Amino acid sequence: MKLLFQKKSLLMSIMILMVTQVTFAQNIAVQGKVTSADNPGGIQGVTVSVVGTTNATATDKNGHYQLSNVNPQSSLVFSFVGYKEQTEAINGRRQVNITMVVETSALDQVVVIGYGTAKKKDLTGAISSVNVAKLQNENPTSVQDALRANIPGLSVGVVNTAKPGGSLQIRGTNSLNAGTSPLIVLDGAIYYGAMSDINPQDIATVDVLKDASAAAVYGAKSASGVIMINTKKGKSGKPVINFNSNIALATMELNQPVYQGQDFVNWRVDVENSIHSFNAKPYQFNDPRTLPSNVSLDDWLAYDNSKGDPVGVWLTRLNFSPVEQKNYLAGNTVNWYDMMFQNGLQQNYTLSVSGGNDKFNYYWSGGYLNNKGIVVGDKYSTVQSRLKLEAEVTKFLTVGINTQFADRDESSVPVNWGLIVNNTPYGSFYNDDSSDFRYAPGDDPGAGGRNPFIATTYTNRRKKYYTLNSIIYGKINLPFGIKYTMNFSPELEFYEYFNGNAIKDPDYTKTGGRGERDNHHIYQWQIDNILSWNRTFNKEHHLEVTLLANAEKYQYWENDMVGTGFNPSDVLSYHNMGAALTQTFTSDDEYSTGAALMGRLFYSYKDRYMLTLSIRQDGYSAFGQKYPWAQFPAAAFGWVFTQEPFVKLPWLNYGKLRLSYGINGNRDIGRYSALYNLNSGKYLEVNPDGTTNVVTQLYVSRLQNPELKWERTAAYNIGLDFSILNSLIGGSIDVYKGKTTNLLVNRTLPDVIGFTNVQSNLGEIDNKGLEIGLHSTNIDRRNFRWNTSFNFSLNRNKIAHLYGNIVNGQEASDIPNKWFIGHPIDAVWDLKVLGVYQSGDKDQAKKYGQSPGDFKIEDVNNDGKYTNDDRQFLGFTKPRYQWTLRNDFTFFKNFDLSALIYSSWGYMASFNQAKNKGGFPDRTNGYVYPHWTPDNPTNDFSRIFSSDGSASYSVYRNRNFIRLDNVALAYTFPQPLLKKASIQDFKVYFSVKNAALYAPDWDNWDPEWDPNAANNPGPGPTPRTFTFGFNLTL
Amino acid sequence: MKTINKKLIYGLAIILIAIVTGTGCNKSYLKPKPLSFYTPDQTYTTAAALQDALVACERNLRYDFFGDGAPIISQLIFSDVAVEGTTDKSGPAQDMNIDITPDAINSGNDNADHNRIYWFWEQGYARLKYANTVLAYINAPKWDTTNPAQLAQRNALIGSAYFFRAYTYYILCNSFGNVPYAGKLYTSPKLDFQTVDRKVILEEMKKELEYAVQWVPDGVPKGEVSKGACQHLLAKIDLALGNFDDAIAAASSLIDGGTYHLMTSRFGSETDMAPKFADTGYNVIWDLHRPTNKTLPANTEGLFYVIDLEGYINNGDYDGGSSVMRQAVPNWDNKINTPAGHTGTIRTTGIQYDQQTAYGRGIGRCRSTWYSTHELWENDPGDLRHAPQNWMRMEDMVYNNPTLKTQNDPYYGQNLQKFSSSGALLCSDTIRCWYDWPQYKTFIPDHQNSLNNGGHTPWYVFRLAETYLVRAEAYYWKGDLASAAADINVVRQRAGAQPVSAGDVTIQTILDERARELYYEEYRKVELTRMAYLFAQTGKPDYKGRTYSMNDFSTKNFWYDRIMDVTEFYNKGVHTIHGDEYTLSPYHVLWPIPQSAIDANVSGHINQNDGYNGAGSNVPPLEQLPE
Repeated sequence: MKLLFQKKSLLMSIMILMVTQVTFAQNIAVQGKVTSADNPGGIQGVTVSVVGTTNATATDKNGHYQLSNVNPQSSLVFSFVGYKEQTEAINGRRQVNITMVVETSALDQVVVIGYGTAKKKDLTGAISSVNVAKLQNENPTSVQDALRANIPGLSVGVVNTAKPGGSLQIRGTNSLNAGTSPLIVLDGAIYYGAMSDINPQDIATVDVLKDASAAAVYGAKSASGVIMINTKKGKSGKPVINFNSNIALATMELNQPVYQGQDFVNWRVDVENSIHSFNAKPYQFNDPRTLPSNVSLDDWLAYDNSKGDPVGVWLTRLNFSPVEQKNYLAGNTVNWYDMMFQNGLQQNYTLSVSGGNDKFNYYWSGGYLNNKGIVVGDKYSTVQSRLKLEAEVTKFLTVGINTQFADRDESSVPVNWGLIVNNTPYGSFYNDDSSDFRYAPGDDPGAGGRNPFIATTYTNRRKKYYTLNSIIYGKINLPFGIKYTMNFSPELEFYEYFNGNAIKDPDYTKTGGRGERDNHHIYQWQIDNILSWNRTFNKEHHLEVTLLANAEKYQYWENDMVGTGFNPSDVLSYHNMGAALTQTFTSDDEYSTGAALMGRLFYSYKDRYMLTLSIRQDGYSAFGQKYPWAQFPAAAFGWVFTQEPFVKLPWLNYGKLRLSYGINGNRDIGRYSALYNLNSGKYLEVNPDGTTNVVTQLYVSRLQNPELKWERTAAYNIGLDFSILNSLIGGSIDVYKGKTTNLLVNRTLPDVIGFTNVQSNLGEIDNKGLEIGLHSTNIDRRNFRWNTSFNFSLNRNKIAHLYGNIVNGQEASDIPNKWFIGHPIDAVWDLKVLGVYQSGDKDQAKKYGQSPGDFKIEDVNNDGKYTNDDRQFLGFTKPRYQWTLRNDFTFFKNFDLSALIYSSWGYMASFNQAKNKGGFPDRTNGYVYPHWTPDNPTNDFSRIFSSDGSASYSVYRNRNFIRLDNVALAYTFPQPLLKKASIQDFKVYFSVKNAALYAPDWDNWDPEWDPNAANNPGPGPTPRTFTFGFNLTL
Repeated sequence: MKTINKKLIYGLAIILIAIVTGTGCNKSYLKPKPLSFYTPDQTYTTAAALQDALVACERNLRYDFFGDGAPIISQLIFSDVAVEGTTDKSGPAQDMNIDITPDAINSGNDNADHNRIYWFWEQGYARLKYANTVLAYINAPKWDTTNPAQLAQRNALIGSAYFFRAYTYYILCNSFGNVPYAGKLYTSPKLDFQTVDRKVILEEMKKELEYAVQWVPDGVPKGEVSKGACQHLLAKIDLALGNFDDAIAAASSLIDGGTYHLMTSRFGSETDMAPKFADTGYNVIWDLHRPTNKTLPANTEGLFYVIDLEGYINNGDYDGGSSVMRQAVPNWDNKINTPAGHTGTIRTTGIQYDQQTAYGRGIGRCRSTWYSTHELWENDPGDLRHAPQNWMRMEDMVYNNPTLKTQNDPYYGQNLQKFSSSGALLCSDTIRCWYDWPQYKTFIPDHQNSLNNGGHTPWYVFRLAETYLVRAEAYYWKGDLASAAADINVVRQRAGAQPVSAGDVTIQTILDERARELYYEEYRKVELTRMAYLFAQTGKPDYKGRTYSMNDFSTKNFWYDRIMDVTEFYNKGVHTIHGDEYTLSPYHVLWPIPQSAIDANVSGHINQNDGYNGAGSNVPPLEQLPE
């Protein structure tokens, strides 16, 4: 890098020499001092030249310079490696002092590489970084918010609840059953705690290790990549106090309406007509007040021998329950949709104090977040605090602690918003003549219609997590430049789930209420012993060695007690469990251990060639029966080819080629999934004398596999880092190919054996992909600056082998699990919908037990049956392509505007709403969707309450979307103004999260949800959030 | 400085060595440590633990009878006594030609919205695993086999495990025909199962049961396997094998053994169980099926039970209760008008005519056929099993909707009518909402659910009444119709029904009596299929003179003909209100082998039953038990 700049200035000098020297009259001598914030005493060696001349000099060790024979109307250029070049007009002055601004070149940025750091220019692996502090204007409320769409190859799931978060996945799925979430490393130590306990305001940078070599130092846990989170630390100087405050309003991004009022009645008419399409009588289900003249009311009533009020008869035919009829006649409706969704107020405050001197630094922060979701009753709050202290005790000993405390409150019991489709608008909220909530507003609980507010109102819940995660460390400088670091990182989690279901809740009335107290606590720790050494020989050879010995232990204890039937009453809820007539308790304790040894060698020659070699040996108790240990080697090579004398391309400022190969492991399975497990439970027997015995059942529920071992992913990565056109455009391109073997698979067994599956190491999955990250400075003027960054990624995976059994010359697929040799894991294999049977297709439909209006399914082999032979590969459930476009504008120096757009393309999900038969359309409400009728012969939606015949399949729709995810505008108050108020920095900002969405084919809430969230929630209400915030630094 | 550094280096070296030796190199450090669950080798070392393995079999069996869409309903609707009555959607097993395929009966469709065929397969093999566990670990406890008491205890455990194996194969072989044989507890994956001839399996089960009869005692807690249960099952297996003399011998040793007797007079108590509207007195039939009476010491009829009792929430009970009323009672609160045209019935509790509490509010899933509600009972008013109070007719119910009062509908409180005086139908879904039911079996008060779905109760698996009918059937096959009639009449006499004469006995007589006595108790499809096998194997003509053969079993068999003889649903153009047609074919005599089992068995070949997709690649079944 240095060489490059020296060359550049040489080049400049030559150019200047070649310019004809022009001498002006009345030239003056100019002198001055060049300083910077970190060098207030002056910078030595700054080149100061007069624009358009060869007249130039350099500053002395005090930063002084002097130039004679200078045109007073010309300008001076100040340039120095590591600082931004500045041009200053002289305007006749004889003294021109300048404060230079440090230019943190992207290449000098320090990146955390695992048990150490490296400058970005020295990297040999594929590592992407996010400067989280820069995203402050967008108000990330979780780590995931900061990462979403900002790193090529990293997918971040979207959550819709008041609790922020989302699952993470790097470079596609490389396992069938084992977990594929990346390893989290927080401030250098492996972190098993919750992401939600890390305050995003504390984070300085996040580095994502994507390729095998970079991640290999984390061996057995790194096959899915590594996310390294680095928090802020105190800097030398006076205390810095920072206060950040956000107020946000979460609103419904989009609506998926259900029928209301007359629309509901009309829809129900269609429902009944469709159900009775084979025998309905003319206008049988139509409003008797609007019968055509050729249908008399008497005939109409006589259809089912009804008498009395025709409207009542009609409503009965529409399956309106008595309460629905009453409300219809009285004109009362309940809008469940409006009652269950709301605008949620969200608040987020963080105060931090940091500072220190050259021997000691500190950082403390406290944060409070309180969110209400868009679903009534959904709320979340957390208190977070972090304390970092580091002291240089002696010249050779530094000690420190980095502690994170969090108190998470997840007590909320949101209303079950899904009931918007189950509850009739003509139901009643309360029981007749009473203020008790009506159990089933339409009096038809069997159809799923329940008052959604009962559980929310009559559940008394306390669900809290208290976590304390620390890293306690010491660093010792040993002779010969050897450094020894020891990290001890204990993690503690205390969990309490106290839940009381009151007798007033009809689901618990007969049992006399229910109470539960579930507690667990986790204590896990790790010890890292790290030895590192580096030395430069002959100024050209640079060597770094890192050695690690690690041990870890996990311990979990859980107690759960449940009581039902509280006597004398349930008013004490879960607080007096002894009052329960029936009491049960359970417990679950778990334990696991791990250990690792690692060695890494980094060598670079002339900053031009770099080599990283590493090997790690890992042990884990889940594989502890026969193969606890595994080895994971890696090698990587980097070549800065623009340093080569023979590469002389004027437009290419920098170019580096990276090659890496390595093996990573995956151990992300249950601690005991290779062991036999006996399930136990209670059963009853009656003794010959008539008394009852509670007896225990005991059976083998899991087949053991003592041979179980690590899953291994071996991968190549080829990467190119570049910078062109005077660094206006830079970026990196990576292609990779990985092969995962010894897959941790829950292998399907023929159920004849008595076990449905067994944890095994089988098969192979191949992944390959491409990632492009580009950034450019489009405009860089005094009052306007425009930067763009663009990411693109694609991943393709394929199941190469499964169980190795050959059937008809080919390896057999696992049909029950829908895993197919030669196809991606996420392939959709299903019957193909050709359209809808139209009125003329009656006979053809009947062959398959269907009627016009039902979906027509392709019978590939035309045998009149739907079997596996008719299933086809229809598409994919994970995006084929993802891209992100980010634009940052700075205008009038103090305004920052940013806009982030991202897109996922080429994937699908089931959309069985198209079948128009979810639940009981004849007894409940439904989403407003088109439906087939003889008069509306659509091919996209079936008739209401359609029949699948003998086919078992899903209808699919593309989920493709482009989202304007974030628009943020910030104003930074000018320094002169702030100085008067003794404020260092003050900024206000406004942002809109999830501002706009384009999803041409998807019509079921938002196309994006978190597929890896517990109990995959599927599509649902998604918030659009408006945030106003400010950041104050004293 | 130097000395400090040296000390530090020493200290460091010690720490590192300690960690490496203390963790990495120490093998036991990485040994998995299960804390809260038991492992087999560590646990199955006592007689008590092996008994607990048998409890897994007992508890597994309870699921057959209980819950929403209980598996026994699938046994009933594949027979002549009931059809699937959930008429408001596609999916429930009605259009059998469409719904019953090897793909469609998968684990995802093993639920109340479809059918439970897969249940019998999967849970059958699960139960075999539980039983095989006992056999695998039987010698783990330190038995002193020279001690007669210990020998008896050990062999009783083996015998009980044999019972559950035999029970399970009896169902599998008469539901699915030839099936794979799981002979032991497998300790590693096995992917090369082969189909075994059902006769070979049943022969083995006969041997095992003969051992069980020898060792399993009577007088055990109810819920456990008794000697009586083993004798009864042995008789049934003998019957299935066509060993009629052995069947008679096994049944006779049970009947004459002196331990078990039919209940012939009133017993127990009816606290809190009185129906409200037809109080014409109780009788022994009513008593026999009261939840608390089933397992009373005084009850000498029950041979084998599954147990569920009130008051054991999360402590041994069946979560939510039996749900029998929900399944078997018609959906009477729906689609029934008064002759005046108003909605006549409502399931609200606490109203003047609280029929919900008295009868439960069913959903008509298990819809009895006309055969089982009417034809069976013709001309025999004395039969207590069909007597008012025990048996509910729709016309015994009343229009109970309180709104009728405000509508001035004169029919409020009057008995239900199916037709108006002008002959118009007043119930718009007579499949689901209008049929009669055996209240004495379904009425299980529910103190747990907001609707009266059917609460906790033990359930009879084997009852001595069936033993008489099994022996009667064996006599029938032998042609000893007098003895057959005598056995049938023992059961009929207890119920107050008129005796049948020997000359009238056909297989129909036996089927009718089974239907009267054992509704919602027997696995009706299994029994019918078993008989179909016997007709095909013996060539004996049935009551219509039809003869059958194994050569065309899947296209012509007694199972299908019997259902078509007496039911009015299948293949007669009957549609549900949702427009689904009731269809059935002769090949349904055997259920399809689940495709998932065939697909997962990658190294062997499990045969598909004829008539279903995939049967074309069948190979001959094994004629001897695999190792």
